[in-house]
Amino acid sequence: MALLEIDGRVFDVDGDGFLTDPQIWNNEVAELIAKADGIEGMNDKHWSVIKIIRDNFEQHGNAPMIRKICQETGLKLREIYELFPLGPARGACKIAGLPKPDGCV
Amino acid sequence: MKSADNKKRREEALELLNQAENSKLLTNLNACVRCGLCAQSCMYYKALNEPRFIPSAKVDLVSSIYRRYYTVTGKVAPALFGAKSLDQDMEERMVDLLFGACTMCGRCVKHCSIGVDIPFVVRKGREMLAVMDMVPKSLQSTVDAALNTGNNMAIPQEEFVDTIKWMEEELVDEMGDPEARIPLDETDKELFYTLNPREPKFFPLSISAMAKIFYAAGESWTLSSKFYDVTNYGFFNANNGEAAQIAGYLYDEIHKLRGKRLILGECGHGSRAHKWEGPNYLKKGYDFDIITVVELIGEYIRTGKIVLDKTLNSVKHTIHDPCNLVRNGGLVNEIRFIVNRSVSDLIEMSPYGDDNFCCGGGGGSLAMSEYNDRRLKIGKIKADQIAATGAKVVITPCHNCVDQLLQINHTYKLGVTIKTIAEVVADALVIEKRIKD
Amino acid sequence: MRLVIMEWYKYSALIAASICLATFLYRLIYLISLGLPKDLSKESGSVTKGIIYSFTGAMSPKEKESAYLHLPTYTAGVVFHLGIFSALLFFIWTVFTLFISVETPELLSVVLIILLTLSALSGISILLKRVFSEELRYLSCADDYISNILSTSALIATIILLTVNNSEALYFIIMTTLFLWMPLGKTKHLLYFFFARLHLGFFYGRRGAWPKAKNRDYEIS
Repeated sequence: MALLEIDGRVFDVDGDGFLTDPQIWNNEVAELIAKADGIEGMNDKHWSVIKIIRDNFEQHGNAPMIRKICQETGLKLREIYELFPLGPARGACKIAGLPKPDGCV
Repeated sequence: MKSADNKKRREEALELLNQAENSKLLTNLNACVRCGLCAQSCMYYKALNEPRFIPSAKVDLVSSIYRRYYTVTGKVAPALFGAKSLDQDMEERMVDLLFGACTMCGRCVKHCSIGVDIPFVVRKGREMLAVMDMVPKSLQSTVDAALNTGNNMAIPQEEFVDTIKWMEEELVDEMGDPEARIPLDETDKELFYTLNPREPKFFPLSISAMAKIFYAAGESWTLSSKFYDVTNYGFFNANNGEAAQIAGYLYDEIHKLRGKRLILGECGHGSRAHKWEGPNYLKKGYDFDIITVVELIGEYIRTGKIVLDKTLNSVKHTIHDPCNLVRNGGLVNEIRFIVNRSVSDLIEMSPYGDDNFCCGGGGGSLAMSEYNDRRLKIGKIKADQIAATGAKVVITPCHNCVDQLLQINHTYKLGVTIKTIAEVVADALVIEKRIKD
Repeated sequence: MRLVIMEWYKYSALIAASICLATFLYRLIYLISLGLPKDLSKESGSVTKGIIYSFTGAMSPKEKESAYLHLPTYTAGVVFHLGIFSALLFFIWTVFTLFISVETPELLSVVLIILLTLSALSGISILLKRVFSEELRYLSCADDYISNILSTSALIATIILLTVNNSEALYFIIMTTLFLWMPLGKTKHLLYFFFARLHLGFFYGRRGAWPKAKNRDYEIS
């Protein structure tokens, strides 16, 4: 457990900076986390990825496969890695307020 | 009730050090002279500069307990011989240092004035903690996912299959060959290939790359749709029963599909855990060949099964050596053989090869959120190594290293690209079109 | 050989040395009897070559940061160990002279005095480092200080024996203490060192990581 402070707001996060309580997430929180990771101002492409990840999490309780993200947003794989330099897991899933996925990520 | 339980668990943990017939254990618990010269060889000590991070201090946690319970001198005069009881304070220090401050990279072993197998002792300490149910939660959850679902990211089978089908379509497009395949669950194939679950889940470019290489080599291969996971986090959480169960998944699956050779995907610890530890976890020798994909690609190049044009990768590349493949796996030159034929501009890190530093994410630490802060701090050493090369691309045949390097790249603003060996080789492939006119 | 009536401290040193030798011999035979680890994985290198390399190439100061990053300490350590081995060999010689009347050759004495003086100074410097370095103090227990003090004292006692008349009592008493301590303290690495190297050679050898491949081998293949 740790605390993450962004622009005066304080969040409970795990050691990797993922929200401890995914329920406190909203668009504003997403923007703050993105900012902390160096993404200034999220564009429509960012949001389309975040939305799919968040929806998948709310429906299935986990992060979607990258295939689903690509197919539903129409974005190319490489574009996604460019949008989120830390990758879909540590980058996008964190901004979408998910807990850190298990495994080598 | 709880304390009786604790007592029993402690006794079980102590029993792990009571192995008078285990020459390796006996030797390593008695050999350290605490000269402290290992300090500078350890990333944790170098980056964090506190004496508790010295490798010798980590060894001493375990050996001091051994002395306290299994040597006459330690029983009679514990203070004189530095013998310590296994109590709550000791347990907490063990968790913090053996799980939280050692990537088991083994760099200290090579440089130890005696030759103590430090990660061997560290893992023994982890085994004790595993028996006492003290594995950090995040690490245990990765192991549990593998135990329960067959892969450490708990990817459902149908989602995996969808992803592979999607990759296959891309392969068909890219090769311009409707016959191009990514075979699933096919029997009697020459090769049974394995993946790190992070590939299908988030980073599938290395799957396409490998599929391209297999295509170019005209290989007979298959993936399993259920048991394809090359990792074995049981090596890290040190629960040998769980490690054996995970090793058994691949063992059983290759038999089920009647594959001839098990090819370990680009994963350092997984290669080690399946190739070198697996037969010992399962207590039986393997009746199939088991090699890393690095060795397989080397074979393809030597036999001319694939042809590479290294001018296709012309920016400056460098190599990060995964500890379990290089220092502990003997592949230092095999990796360079391949890279030298795939890229035209290669610069080595300093130090490199057997002396290279760990990425900082080994030993399961990438999965342990508890120690994220330390992991990024020790990653500074790797970041400085990379920056000093001036390379634009860092090649490493280990997905765990890849992820740590991605994070280091971001944190220390290195501006490099991280690639696996398959990706670099695939980019250098010269493939003749196979479509019939 | 003639029967001699000796002073008590000579008996004590002989008895202590015998106990020490017997303990190490017992442990040696026991460890040998355990053999190499059982390993069911398929060897891809050579255990034999790995073990040979473990005792040779891998011990080269060029291969070890514990040597090349710490040259003063490393040198002191090597000289300290050389001195201790010489002093132990000299003890055997001294015992020999108890039963057979031969004089220690002058040249041997001079060489020994020089070596042991350097060695004792090395021992003292290593001890001081342990006392003054925060890191080493953190790692240390009483054993670390005692083992060094006893070994260094044995070196000094040997020098005194060689240079001062009637100093036998001191010599044999100190040697008695050292011999009694050796199997108990970390001085037992005298034996375990060799098995540690053996296990490393086995481990790295069968994986083909040792012997270390020569640089740029890959360009030939």
